[in-house]
Amino acid sequence: MEEQVLSIINDIRKSKRLNVLDALKETDNLRTDLNLTSFDLAELTVRIEDEFGVDIFEEGIVNTIGEIYGRLAK
Amino acid sequence: MNYLVTGCSRGVGLEIVKVLLETGHCVYGVARSHSEEFKTLEHQYAGHLFFKSVDLSDAENVREEVFKEFVTNRIVLDGYVNNAATAYDDIVTNLNAEKLKAMYNVNVFTPMMITKYAIRNMLLHKTRGCIVHISSISAHTGYKGLAMYASSKGALEAFSKNTAREWGELGIRSNVVVPGFMETAMSSTLTQEQKDRIYKRTSLKRATDIRSVAYTVAFLLSEKAASITGQNIHVDNGTI
Repeated sequence: MEEQVLSIINDIRKSKRLNVLDALKETDNLRTDLNLTSFDLAELTVRIEDEFGVDIFEEGIVNTIGEIYGRLAK
Repeated sequence: MNYLVTGCSRGVGLEIVKVLLETGHCVYGVARSHSEEFKTLEHQYAGHLFFKSVDLSDAENVREEVFKEFVTNRIVLDGYVNNAATAYDDIVTNLNAEKLKAMYNVNVFTPMMITKYAIRNMLLHKTRGCIVHISSISAHTGYKGLAMYASSKGALEAFSKNTAREWGELGIRSNVVVPGFMETAMSSTLTQEQKDRIYKRTSLKRATDIRSVAYTVAFLLSEKAASITGQNIHVDNGTI
């Protein structure tokens, strides 16, 4: 699951010409650490939903990678 | 191109489906009833036209009913035509809250939820998609008995304008077609005298041509309209 999330985030970062990450930390903030905008988060949401069938934003805003893992583990 | 059209079984919705099929597109039609006219088109355009009966008064169910069971993520959606609507006609002093909510569910809340999932499909496939809402001239001119209905169309127009501003950066367009009074089931309760009075308020002095409305929708969906977004296009015989 963590590998797939990393792969999706790296795809989005590549399209923004940001460097590819080797790993994610649970404390990583999606906006300030990973430089994702609201549009990037929308794409992240639909790609995660397509892969895992879970809408991570359905129950409110998600700020960190750890929170994404938490929603996916439910 | 793949287009989702709501309210596809009759009237202007059916006409929009016809025009899109005639120009080689694939249409996913959603409506309450599966009309004979639509079934005839399904035979004629087998493999290009699909139908699902959906209760569009249930805004919370459209994700499941439309996007999980019909227009799934495996389908690249190029556009959404929000045509389904219901009319609640009465004077304001008779306003009934339950009827008002029922109309807003179909005319406003469900189209907003479908827009959400249509844009999500476009994001997934990086499609520069297009949304077209069908409004009504009543939102601009005002007619006795149509205050509630017109208000729902005004809400859609504001929603479309802001959707266009929000998603334009990703190439997604949103426009509104504003038809004048047409000879459809929705206006069938009007007397000939009432209709004549309405037509007198137009430059062309007659009912709006349904086909003209459908062609305008097809134009807005097409690449020919690539620079048009956030607009209300009046197809109303020049209503004054």
